[in-house]
Amino acid sequence: MNDTRRSRMVLGALLVVALAMITIDYRGGDDSPLRGLRGVGEAVFGPVERASAAVVRPVGNAVDAITNAPGERRRADRLQRENQRLRDQLRGTQVDQGKSAQLDRLLGAAGLGGYKIVAANVISVGQGLEDTVTIDAGSGSGIRTDMTVMSADGLVGRVTRVGPATATVLLATDVTSSVGARLEESKEIGIVQGRGRRGLGGGGRTPLRFQLLDANAPMRVGQRLVTLGSQNERPYVPGVPVGTVERIDAPAGGLTRTAYVQPFVHFTSLDVVAVVVAPPKSDPRDAVLPPSPTPPAPPAAGPPSPLPPSAPPHKGGKHPSAQPSQ
Amino acid sequence: MLNAPEASPTGRRVISAIVIVVALVLQVSVANRLPLPGGVTPDLVLLSVVALALVSGSLTGCVAGFCAGLAADIVPPADHTIGRYALVYCVIGYVCGIAAAEMDRQSTVPFFAVAAGALLGTVAYAATGMLLGDPRASWTIVARVVPLQVLYDVVASPFVVWCVLRATRRYDRPERHRDRFSVPAARYRAMSGRTRL
Repeated sequence: MNDTRRSRMVLGALLVVALAMITIDYRGGDDSPLRGLRGVGEAVFGPVERASAAVVRPVGNAVDAITNAPGERRRADRLQRENQRLRDQLRGTQVDQGKSAQLDRLLGAAGLGGYKIVAANVISVGQGLEDTVTIDAGSGSGIRTDMTVMSADGLVGRVTRVGPATATVLLATDVTSSVGARLEESKEIGIVQGRGRRGLGGGGRTPLRFQLLDANAPMRVGQRLVTLGSQNERPYVPGVPVGTVERIDAPAGGLTRTAYVQPFVHFTSLDVVAVVVAPPKSDPRDAVLPPSPTPPAPPAAGPPSPLPPSAPPHKGGKHPSAQPSQ
Repeated sequence: MLNAPEASPTGRRVISAIVIVVALVLQVSVANRLPLPGGVTPDLVLLSVVALALVSGSLTGCVAGFCAGLAADIVPPADHTIGRYALVYCVIGYVCGIAAAEMDRQSTVPFFAVAAGALLGTVAYAATGMLLGDPRASWTIVARVVPLQVLYDVVASPFVVWCVLRATRRYDRPERHRDRFSVPAARYRAMSGRTRL
């Protein structure tokens, strides 16, 4: 009774439309005409999501408080540190600008680094198999596609689409994400790939996979990774901490060696992130890495104080031990 | 063609649209952020489509499914080929609409329909991804996602189905309130039976 001719016709028509859309969007790739629809979606749902995020944030906080009561204190500390650090960063950038003229003359092409950032909140998370989030800052805040997104802990991902007041971020854990990365100290380079939404591809603790390009290069558990930086600093700026090598696959005769990486960022509880709107003037190398954990790596990879990610002088060697801007 | 004109088609459409938008916004801004074990979250949009289809039949089911899917395809953090959810949810809405009429006498229909819908929806979505060569829909990932997804959907379904029934009953058909003692399943069966002869 229910399955009338009319509803069958409607079903058929809708299926044809859906298949046509899939075909057009798939064939069109990034310049498909249907991407305009996403713009509509951003304009329509962006404000709704922002509003709902404002409403549900206290709810989420309450849930967090219950499930994570012992961690609350740490979280407060962390946020405070992040705040402090962002403030320092802003101040550092201003100082850098003032000093850069003189120091540029002194150090030639060196210049002072430091990321220029726009802070944003995560307001929604993607559905299904993709690992994407929406942040509440868009083209109005100077955000463009292919900008690096980081948090106080390290690399988060990159901006893939920008709306007027929202932007979509592809997380580093997504399967389609691959980031050039470099081991601290040894400077061996490789590629960090995601293993699927929240590590669904098998890694709960290690949702990232690192492929070392040189199969004979030394690599050990506990070594840390920073981004290598892309050409023209887009989409990834150099020097952003990525994670720690957790496990290394025994070489199976391949051309590369694979390691599994535990990221510095907790991708399941992303909240405040920063979009790098201007890359550092020079590669900060290991300066942004947090101070080394207790036993290993005697030459500390970064300055001991929680200072802004400011760059060492260009010719200063690979282990900066002081902040040039101070 | 045999669908009798409904009491207030505009009101029903508005309610369906509101249900879908609310489900979608809750999905992306609340449900997807829950740190559930396994990293999978219940699909509230799918559940709403199933519930709407059970209440209103296959025609509304497939139209609502298409619209909900299209919205899920373009809602900001989405990053897959546009049309995949539209296709899958449209089919789910249609099938569940038929199932509601076919299995008229069993009061467990909604739970089976939800479980079947969740299974079918997740598998079909993954299958479209595989057909399109989406690296996110690789076998290892899908094999992990599907069982958990179905489990979470079934756990979340009573709440969603109840909310949708409540919304559609309260604003759409005030004259059907007197049926207070029947279980929800029987109630919406009664509703759909009257609409559709």
